[in-house]
Amino acid sequence: MRNYENLVIVKPTLTAEEIQASIKAIEEIITSNGGEIAATSPMGMRKLAYPIEKNERGYYHVIYSSIAPSAISEIERRFRINEDLLRFVTIKYDTNREKVAFNNMVEKAKKLAEEPKDQTPVTETPVAEAPTQTPTVETEDPVATETASE
Amino acid sequence: MAEKRKYKKRYCKYCEAKVDFIDYKDAKALRFSLSERYKIMPRRLTGNCKRHQDMISVVIKRARAAALVPYTVTRKAVVTAPFENLR
Repeated sequence: MRNYENLVIVKPTLTAEEIQASIKAIEEIITSNGGEIAATSPMGMRKLAYPIEKNERGYYHVIYSSIAPSAISEIERRFRINEDLLRFVTIKYDTNREKVAFNNMVEKAKKLAEEPKDQTPVTETPVAEAPTQTPTVETEDPVATETASE
Repeated sequence: MAEKRKYKKRYCKYCEAKVDFIDYKDAKALRFSLSERYKIMPRRLTGNCKRHQDMISVVIKRARAAALVPYTVTRKAVVTAPFENLR
């Protein structure tokens, strides 16, 4: 078993639920081929540096896992068939230095996944709602400080 | 010429920071070794050591494949948005 990192770009034309469903399907492809997912980190909707299949944006998702080297070709073949994916990048972490970096990144991703778990359902809702929610948080904080001072 | 002056002091910034591994997903960190047109800057201008230059060139090529950093920039893109997506 070797450490691999799969970066996957999902089509932006899908709805948020469809994106989550396709990511689950992608993770299933890895697990069904004998891979063990160590951590996942969603990078979210980003602007692409160059258009891919006439799409300007894409949903980035990173999966850290340990997979048998022989299973990689099968996983990549399945990725190529999947039409929801714009692009995938598979990277091997083999040398000692890379393994240390891999473990650090896995821990970071795990921490990030644990901390904002309450916020993840918020981010799944449309992006337009996110700015409206942040001011409410800001208004709450001064109230709390005022009550504390009184 | 301005670029040459910018890199007058010649020492490897990555050695100074003791960088062992560069993550290709962190596109901001790659900016130092990219020109305005997103070309990989040569060692003679950045002062990077051979070891770190090799690491950076691999990492930048990975980031290009993942559409985090563009392969080429046309004249229009240079004028309108230099390093816009990396900020």
